[in-house]
Amino acid sequence: MGVLRIVTFLFLVSCVWSSYGLCGTKPAEVPKAKTMAELAARYDSSSCQECHEEKYEQWENSLHAVSILGTPRTAPTILTSIDMGLKLFPYSGVKTDDDVEVRHLMMCAKCHLPQLDEATDDVAREIVKTVRDWLSACKKAVEDEDYEDIADELEEKIASLNIGCLVCHNKKAIIHKWQDGYPQPDTIYAFQEGEHDHPDFTTVGKAPALNESIFCGQCHGEGPNFELDEPSQCATLYGSYLFAYIPEGGHDTCQECHMAKSGLGHDMQAYRDETMIKMAFDIEVEAMAHFWRKDRPEGVIPLGVINVEIYNKSGHAIPDG
Amino acid sequence: MPYPGRFGRGAEMGRGPYEKCGLLRDTCIPPLKKVKEVFEIPFPYADVEKDGKKTRELTADELLVDVKLWYVPFGEFTNDDKVLFFSEEKKIDLKTEWVWRN
Repeated sequence: MGVLRIVTFLFLVSCVWSSYGLCGTKPAEVPKAKTMAELAARYDSSSCQECHEEKYEQWENSLHAVSILGTPRTAPTILTSIDMGLKLFPYSGVKTDDDVEVRHLMMCAKCHLPQLDEATDDVAREIVKTVRDWLSACKKAVEDEDYEDIADELEEKIASLNIGCLVCHNKKAIIHKWQDGYPQPDTIYAFQEGEHDHPDFTTVGKAPALNESIFCGQCHGEGPNFELDEPSQCATLYGSYLFAYIPEGGHDTCQECHMAKSGLGHDMQAYRDETMIKMAFDIEVEAMAHFWRKDRPEGVIPLGVINVEIYNKSGHAIPDG
Repeated sequence: MPYPGRFGRGAEMGRGPYEKCGLLRDTCIPPLKKVKEVFEIPFPYADVEKDGKKTRELTADELLVDVKLWYVPFGEFTNDDKVLFFSEEKKIDLKTEWVWRN
């Protein structure tokens, strides 16, 4: 009887232990961030730099590091989506910037700032105001250089919100949460389990799909985001990868091309990068000339003919959009 | 490029992410496929009369052709968004004399 009690006790302990392991039950929701600064601090990547310097520097150069600022095209496009979309939609509930809530911005933030769902509606409105002020300062800086510093400061504030280390290695690290468990607040997810020398993230857990294309597909999408009340559509690359590249016999993953073969690591680049451009295309040009003729001298056309063959070696259609 | 539909209905194209939905048409370069484009460029010529007969003469018998493949993102936010993917110069000539034959 004593042995049975011990076995039962150990079984119950193991059940509880596995629930609070590296991936586990859904953790309690953290209080919503009340300001952009608070949200930026929660997802700040700078503490990763000390130990992962090379990866940090690579990431710093990537568009992930400026995911709502963009090149900088993204931030103005967010405003366009508010002015030309939300404010004109009869049932969005948005007539002015003061009406903007997190749920409205998620049509962009789902991918450009997924952690926005951990912020209050005040943060959504602060983002909108900051982008408007930044654009206004940029315009004024053309005439008055005093505005340059203001524009730079606001640009830095916008860029403080980004797809940093914690977005991929924690928040979005586990795709199948019922199968693999929910990301835990003290865990960084990578390829192996273990300890992690960090005051807040003390554990390394395994993200089973981190090096799979489906991981990138969470944002570099398939088309309309049907889970939203108002489906938005930016990226269609993962759809192209699934339904055009794979059927042609392609088998490389996103990470193999954009991180490993390119040598860019966490500086995941696309069309603006020379290496990626060379990896994407084989182009051949042939040229010749001849006299095209009808049945009279006036019908003769001296003609140059340029034949161009473009082979897309990449794992998706080009361009995307 | 992909031509998304406006709210995924009818024949109208959508532009911003707030209205783009689905695809009406796609002129992209598909993965693992070859796309061929042929460009025909007439040499400059003039119609002249020689010995009482109309004839057509080249005003230049050499062409320098720049073949460029550009990535041109939508919008006019800045002018430096365009990215040159490929560039090659080709020289073609028509130096052989053309003789009209009936």
